Amino acid sequence: MKKKKFEFLKVTYLKGPGIWTYVPIIEAWIDLGELEDYPSHTIPGFYERLTGMLPSLVEHHCGVGEHGGFLKRLREGTWSGHILEHVVIELHNLAGMPVTFGKARETDERGIYKVVFESPQEQVGREALHLGRDLVMAAINDETFDVPAAVENLKELIDDHYLGPSTNHIVSAAIDRKIPFIRLNDVNLVQLGYGCQQRRIWTAETDGTSAIAESIASDKHLTKSLLKSCGVPVPEGEEVSSAQEAWAVAQDIGLPVVVKPSDGNHGRGVFINLQTQQEIETAFIEAAKQGSSVIVERFIQGDAFRLLVVGKQMVAASRGKTISVKGDGQHAMQELIDAQINSDPRCGYEAEYPLSPIVLRREPTVRLELQRQGLTPESVPEDGRVVMLKPHGGNLEYDCTDQVHPEVARVAALAARVVGLDVAGIDLVTPDITQPLHSQGGAINEVNAGPGLLMHIKPLEGKPRPVGRAIVDHLFPPKQSYRIPVVGITGSKHTARIARLVAWLLHISGRHVGLACQDGFFLDNRCVDAQPSAYWEAGQRVLINRSVEAAVFEHQQEGILKEGLPYDRCLVGVVTDMQSTQDLTGYYIRTPDQHFTVVRTQVDVVLPEGTAVLNASDPQIVEMADLCDGKVIFYALDPQLPAMASHRAQGERVVFLNQHDIVMAQGEIEISRISLQSLNKSKASKPEMVMAVVATTWALDIKPELIAAGLRTFNAETSKTY
Amino acid sequence: MDVSRIRALRGPNLWSHHTAIEAVVTCSPEECSISTRNGFEARLRDRFPDIRPMRSIGNDDTVPMAHVLEVAALDLQAQAGCPVTFSRTADTHETGVYRVVVEYSEEAVGRLAFDWAQKLCLAAQHDTPFDLEAALHQLRELDEEERLGPSTGAIVNAAAARGIPFRRMTKGSMIQFGWGSKQRRIQAAEMDTTSAISEQIAQDKELTKKMLAAAGVPVPVGREVDNAQDAWAAALEIGLPVVIKPKNGNQGKGVTVNINNQDHLNAAFDAACEFDDDILVERYLPGNDFRLLVVGDKLVAAARRDAPSVVGDGVHSVKELVEQVNKDPRRGTGHATSLTKIRFDDIALTCLSAQGMTADSVPIKGKRVNLRHNANLSTGGTATDVTDDVHPSIAARAVAAAKMVGLDICGVDMVCESILQPLETQGGGVVEVNAAPGLRMHLSPSFGKGRAVGEAIIQTMFGSKDNGRIPVVAVTGTNGKTTTVRLIAHLFKQHGWRVGMTSTDGVYVQGERIDTGDCSGPKSARSVLQHPDVDAAVLETARGGMLREGLAFDRCEVAVVTNVGSGDHLGLNFVNTLEDLSLVKRIIVQNIAPQGMAVLNAVDPVVAAMAAHTNAAVTFFGVDKNHPVLATHLARGRRGVYVEDGCLMASEGSRHFRIPLESVPITLNGTIGFQLENVMAAVSAAWAVGISWDHISEGLASFDNDLNNAQGRFNLFSYRGATIIADYGHNPDAMQALVQAVQAMPASPGQRRSVVISGAGDRRDQDIREQTRILGDVFDEVVMYQDACQRGRADGEVLALLREGLNGAHRTKESVEIYGEFVAIDHAMNRLRSGDLCLILVDQVEEALAYIKQKIAQGIELNCLSSA
Repeated sequence: MKKKKFEFLKVTYLKGPGIWTYVPIIEAWIDLGELEDYPSHTIPGFYERLTGMLPSLVEHHCGVGEHGGFLKRLREGTWSGHILEHVVIELHNLAGMPVTFGKARETDERGIYKVVFESPQEQVGREALHLGRDLVMAAINDETFDVPAAVENLKELIDDHYLGPSTNHIVSAAIDRKIPFIRLNDVNLVQLGYGCQQRRIWTAETDGTSAIAESIASDKHLTKSLLKSCGVPVPEGEEVSSAQEAWAVAQDIGLPVVVKPSDGNHGRGVFINLQTQQEIETAFIEAAKQGSSVIVERFIQGDAFRLLVVGKQMVAASRGKTISVKGDGQHAMQELIDAQINSDPRCGYEAEYPLSPIVLRREPTVRLELQRQGLTPESVPEDGRVVMLKPHGGNLEYDCTDQVHPEVARVAALAARVVGLDVAGIDLVTPDITQPLHSQGGAINEVNAGPGLLMHIKPLEGKPRPVGRAIVDHLFPPKQSYRIPVVGITGSKHTARIARLVAWLLHISGRHVGLACQDGFFLDNRCVDAQPSAYWEAGQRVLINRSVEAAVFEHQQEGILKEGLPYDRCLVGVVTDMQSTQDLTGYYIRTPDQHFTVVRTQVDVVLPEGTAVLNASDPQIVEMADLCDGKVIFYALDPQLPAMASHRAQGERVVFLNQHDIVMAQGEIEISRISLQSLNKSKASKPEMVMAVVATTWALDIKPELIAAGLRTFNAETSKTY
Repeated sequence: MDVSRIRALRGPNLWSHHTAIEAVVTCSPEECSISTRNGFEARLRDRFPDIRPMRSIGNDDTVPMAHVLEVAALDLQAQAGCPVTFSRTADTHETGVYRVVVEYSEEAVGRLAFDWAQKLCLAAQHDTPFDLEAALHQLRELDEEERLGPSTGAIVNAAAARGIPFRRMTKGSMIQFGWGSKQRRIQAAEMDTTSAISEQIAQDKELTKKMLAAAGVPVPVGREVDNAQDAWAAALEIGLPVVIKPKNGNQGKGVTVNINNQDHLNAAFDAACEFDDDILVERYLPGNDFRLLVVGDKLVAAARRDAPSVVGDGVHSVKELVEQVNKDPRRGTGHATSLTKIRFDDIALTCLSAQGMTADSVPIKGKRVNLRHNANLSTGGTATDVTDDVHPSIAARAVAAAKMVGLDICGVDMVCESILQPLETQGGGVVEVNAAPGLRMHLSPSFGKGRAVGEAIIQTMFGSKDNGRIPVVAVTGTNGKTTTVRLIAHLFKQHGWRVGMTSTDGVYVQGERIDTGDCSGPKSARSVLQHPDVDAAVLETARGGMLREGLAFDRCEVAVVTNVGSGDHLGLNFVNTLEDLSLVKRIIVQNIAPQGMAVLNAVDPVVAAMAAHTNAAVTFFGVDKNHPVLATHLARGRRGVYVEDGCLMASEGSRHFRIPLESVPITLNGTIGFQLENVMAAVSAAWAVGISWDHISEGLASFDNDLNNAQGRFNLFSYRGATIIADYGHNPDAMQALVQAVQAMPASPGQRRSVVISGAGDRRDQDIREQTRILGDVFDEVVMYQDACQRGRADGEVLALLREGLNGAHRTKESVEIYGEFVAIDHAMNRLRSGDLCLILVDQVEEALAYIKQKIAQGIELNCLSSA
């Protein structure tokens, strides 16, 4: 009997760290319905059908921890929620978006599960989830399911919504260096680092890529004259305005020549190795269609190379290879090309394919090359005849970084510097890349802004080069910071006030502060928006602000459950209490242990160099100290609490109340005292709140005198609105 | 009248500091005085009434036609609005041949004015028509096309006022400010630090809005819409009135504001769709349009922009009122004037119909009728400066907006009722930020004060102290230039500078030769000044380039004139006498920065006299400190460099620095006089730019005049126990210096001296003869050869002159004539015995030196074989 499709009760995208993991995930609540009674081993043929559709599931270790671990579970019997998790992860992988994290958990209601899986992009994740369900259901009910179509569907979504491969490569390199990133738009504009420490990239452009340099690079003539004057070898040439003039200049320069548009790109309308008047005049007409003016220049013998310069260094180099087909005496040119070149699986139109197909109709350069060999697109070359299509190297996909002569690398870096680009693709032609250019007549043809990185990341042959790492290192040299101090405060008691006081103290210590809390969205002491702002989006606004030098966030348990935290890690994580302002039973968070899993998120994200500020009067919170990668400061009214006493005994920091003074102590040493009587009533009456502020700002290295002064001067009502 | 050799002097030159067109004008005898041409002047004034009075150019009263040409070419430019004042006609020693110089502000305009001036002269001569209006119109048009736009112009002017050098990189608005490693670039109101990504962000209004909101800058809420229906839905969500606009538009194209009903919205949606597929609906912010200009982290100007409008008089129709307004002479058609004509087009008509009017409606007196909703200057709007009214919090928002997007020059468009109040209190907001904003409305607003926007941009780029200059040393003279240049570059290198250097044997950057051949002209100098890795430039500045094109720089920090002596290349380019030559070499001395230094040879009277022609301080050098020029200078407490007790001395008042000559290898313990001069000149230059004496001493000690340092400059070789000196000397002064050096060198008894020489054909006969005359007194054998390039001389002509010079030679017993440089070298070298001395005056420097080296290497091999 056919089984009924299981239902999604709720699907949430968690954009930041939450109760499950640090990375963005989809959390789906599913109701298995009748399937709750049918674990995998009870459905005849299910195992075979599922593994038939997704043979690569064998790679999933699952909890078993060995190759085929998941399949073992499948045979022994597991429920559809768990199967769905693995299927969705596998669909991501097949679509070229590798993910690993997933979990399926029962709730305390029968048949209801929470299934979560990593997905860097929301639409992709949601689609994969639905496709995954259909696939599982098809396997259960012995129906057909078109896996390749589903994968194709996801690929398109990734193409439309996720980072392009070059950007993704740079972002991955940033992640390797633990540099956080934020996507600023739905294409490839990405922020690396937070607040005032951020840098931006847009594919292979950085925020240090000068607009003027780009306009110089797009003007080949200007580029060439600048390079030439700085001693960089370039092919001599001239701008021409008519076919006749093109021929005249060609004769002056000496044949063979190249004819190309002065501001075109991607090789469109570029004609090389032209020998005759007719060739040159035809090329002029074609080239003139691409750009405003046309250049005639000396044709440099040799191979084409692309050198990638980042900062002051050449970091990668690729070589182009000639492209040709062999005639068989039966097929015409396009058929030969389709059979011998375009059929290559690496060949495709999208950016992910390293090779682009050749369609004669669209490639006048190739047609001209054929014409030179006495052929037309309709010709049927005799059996065995080799026909050159791109004699000068088509795809620059063959890594040759290690062969580049240091002098060539130096000249390439100089060329980028002369144009003014921090990241540049240098096109050059030379017979032998292992020799200096001067010695053999090689020359730099072009300097490209925003160069493609794929050829270096995924060369057809040779080593992939860590160009993303080079770009990230260029943006963030080893000692340069990419984070700003981030403070996260989780709890329910006076947390907005604590956040505002901490922000105020950071502000008076001389930093521009962004604050998102229930009282609103603040920049320094200005209330920009009085709407409650303790949510993910408001947090992101703080982190993308280029002026912000320190950030403070208030979090509620519901926010962590619903959206995750707006940052990856924080310098100080504060937990004041385990209460929730909202009823979380609808999230299946009911027991104290379940609340613990929510609140601990705040402590999990504390950086190794950071501090957790924990209220020691709650044993559950004390327990979190062990989860912290950094230091811990405990605070409590009573210094005699066991947690306080033993922490202090270990030479650590604690904050407590002694009569009317708030005391900051480290080990035996009492660092400072702040008299509660010096504060106004609304603060003095809440010593725990004040202690949380003192401990947090202490963790931020604000001087005790300033803390005392700031506590006295803060007035919640006087924040400006303009 | 024949006009030839028209050239553009693109830098300071023989005539003035101005850029100028120079031409050689040959007048027929009757053209040498226009008074002999009846009625000429009347016909001239008839055709060009505003032309200045003519004046005689020489000592008599004659006014040659060349002068008319000069005045006409200048006045045509002046009448066309070009800021030019300088012109001159100079006679030459050839009768009827004049040199005419006319200043230009744009080279193409100057050349065109020259053409028109010739046509004018011809027309006046032959009584044919001349279309003055056409000429002036064409000149004006060309000038408008060529000269910098107002925004770029303002920035360039601000730089010029600060003494920052600049150079146009393209025909457009891309400019290089400063030199070498200190250079910066702009393109209109865009700096080289302006990020391309930031410009892309500014283009995306939604992204910009999201970012501005994060920066706490008020923005109009809104969203992207799919179709007209969705637009209406969005409008209702946001609340009326709303604005519809294309997502990626500019200059207000396709924008409709203040939409209150669905019909209006539908029409507006269609209008926006013509410019982009992505359409935005936003809350309409009522109030005025303001443009705030942020440069760096400061607000520097603000203007209120008002849509074009006319005010009714109860008599005229709207159309007529527009015509009246457009008659205002301040209203031009392009971007150059402070106002632009109001466009009376379909958009204006639509705008009118929204107000219930047509073109022919007659508005009542006092009624203001808008002709457009947007306030862009280019469609007839006005700009009123409100910089001083801006509320500090508004300024802070503008700066925050610019910083958030990442634009260092940013035009922030704001809409609010009043700029005097915070945006937040009046519901105003920022609607757009613009990269490369136009500056016209701030430089010359329609109403109110112009603002120093260019100055602010320059201030942001260069701070308050820097002027973008790197130390530039120009070196000229008859002999010793190349060695001096190399030596100065070497001393600079000790200081840690990356040096760019030009000389007759190439352009060098950090010791790397980046260009070959004779690179002592302005083009090579420019390439050094443009190189991003150059911290200091040492430029050999030959007379040819100065005459051809002027200097490549507006001024240098140090000008060095090694010597003029009896001259070189006399007879070329109207430089016939020593005085003519000194005028040319003096150009660099006349163009030294006020705080700079002239380094002059005290012993050479022509050079010493140049001291009177500079405002800069002078360092004199000369071996003998008692030489009257040097002694006087030192007595006044000024800087002097000389030799005393086997030491190089540098003195200024009571301060003295001493470097023993034994630690200056290229002087051979001070024996080689001309190298001593080069060293003194170089030391003076290094002293002038503040190189420490430790570095100078180290530099002198480590400078090795071998082949790697200065090819063809007294290169010494040893061959079969004989001494070979290879040198590029090719004029009488160089011969004297070489002879002095040869005589000063220790000689073994019975030494036989031979010399290999050719003569450069482009020298005067007497100079060629003089060379062998000098050599004949010192050498036993003279090997004369003729080379491939005779520089305009007939076969054998130069050899004959060389031979003549040997007549009556005191020492020379043997002489031989040979065809081919290598053959001559072979001949001389093959005859050398141990202890002999041979001076080879090389012509094709590199090839000849390579040949000599190869021959020596082979010789050593032979020796090795024989000893084995």
